[in-house]
Amino acid sequence: MAESTAAASAAIDEKTRTALRDLILILADSKRLLGTRYASWILGAPELETGIACASMAQDEWGHGRLLYALLKDFGDDVDNLEHARAANEYRSIEVLDSAPTSWAELVALNSLVDPALTLQLEALRTSAYVPVRQRVGKLLDEEHFHSAHGIAWLRRMAKSGAEGRAAVTEAVNAVLPIILRWFGPATASKALLDAGITDASGDELRARYIARVSPVLSEIGIDATTFAKPDFNGFDDATRRVSNEGPDQATIAKVRGDKNRAFLMD
Amino acid sequence: MVYEVFARKARGEPLRHIGNLNAPDDELARVYAFNTYDEEKWFDMWIAPRSSLVEVFNVDRPAAENA
Repeated sequence: MAESTAAASAAIDEKTRTALRDLILILADSKRLLGTRYASWILGAPELETGIACASMAQDEWGHGRLLYALLKDFGDDVDNLEHARAANEYRSIEVLDSAPTSWAELVALNSLVDPALTLQLEALRTSAYVPVRQRVGKLLDEEHFHSAHGIAWLRRMAKSGAEGRAAVTEAVNAVLPIILRWFGPATASKALLDAGITDASGDELRARYIARVSPVLSEIGIDATTFAKPDFNGFDDATRRVSNEGPDQATIAKVRGDKNRAFLMD
Repeated sequence: MVYEVFARKARGEPLRHIGNLNAPDDELARVYAFNTYDEEKWFDMWIAPRSSLVEVFNVDRPAAENA
């Protein structure tokens, strides 16, 4: 493992640098989309306190997305372009965020399972050899603490609410869990970043950490996360961590890019 | 269930009542308290079900009733 650190991306070899840019964009896009999913439930959540929690989480995720996009300046990216001008198929967000959740149970599944997946990936950057990431990741992680706690508390509450609630939340979890476990990628994909000391874990290791983290609550609702421990990587693109190359749906893209109010975008 | 929320600004300061919230259990109440009362930077925060608070006295009532 390399001991040296890089204050700027120019100091990193081409292949590793590309993989790092991919990872930052994957995290930025996923956080932008996750924030959008939370925001849709600020109104219409089961109780006022939940709406407030969704507002707070949306604000955190958008803030993190913005901070991560800004990091890509160091990779020669035009940040404004990244945030407002890309087509759907250029988004790298995790596939389970491609369309809006249609029920509260689906939002709870995203909240309790996507949030900790993104957090685990960020944790793997805590001692990163790429200094700009290492300096920022602590603040991001501090703000994440209560996100999955909210999702998990709701998962438990719905599971205990009776047969209907339990069935809804079980179905929602089963729909997203295999995709999230695949999202960490095969062991080989993250090797360049691991070897350079930019992350501290391979895809396999992150998947194992994730299973260890979510298993306690999932076992309470009768779901065994290890069932999905060996994902099918057929068609999986390491650079986007997606199988589909279509990206989020058009309604979502219009919202995250701010299409309706483009005229008011300041230079 | 109504929970009362308490917090303090800095170590050593007295705990102050800052509001309340509705939650079905302690687990969600903690999350709601954190998210609802996050406008200020607190040193620590506590919650308690309103039903667990025991009144000692109230000056609006005759002394005999308070005893």
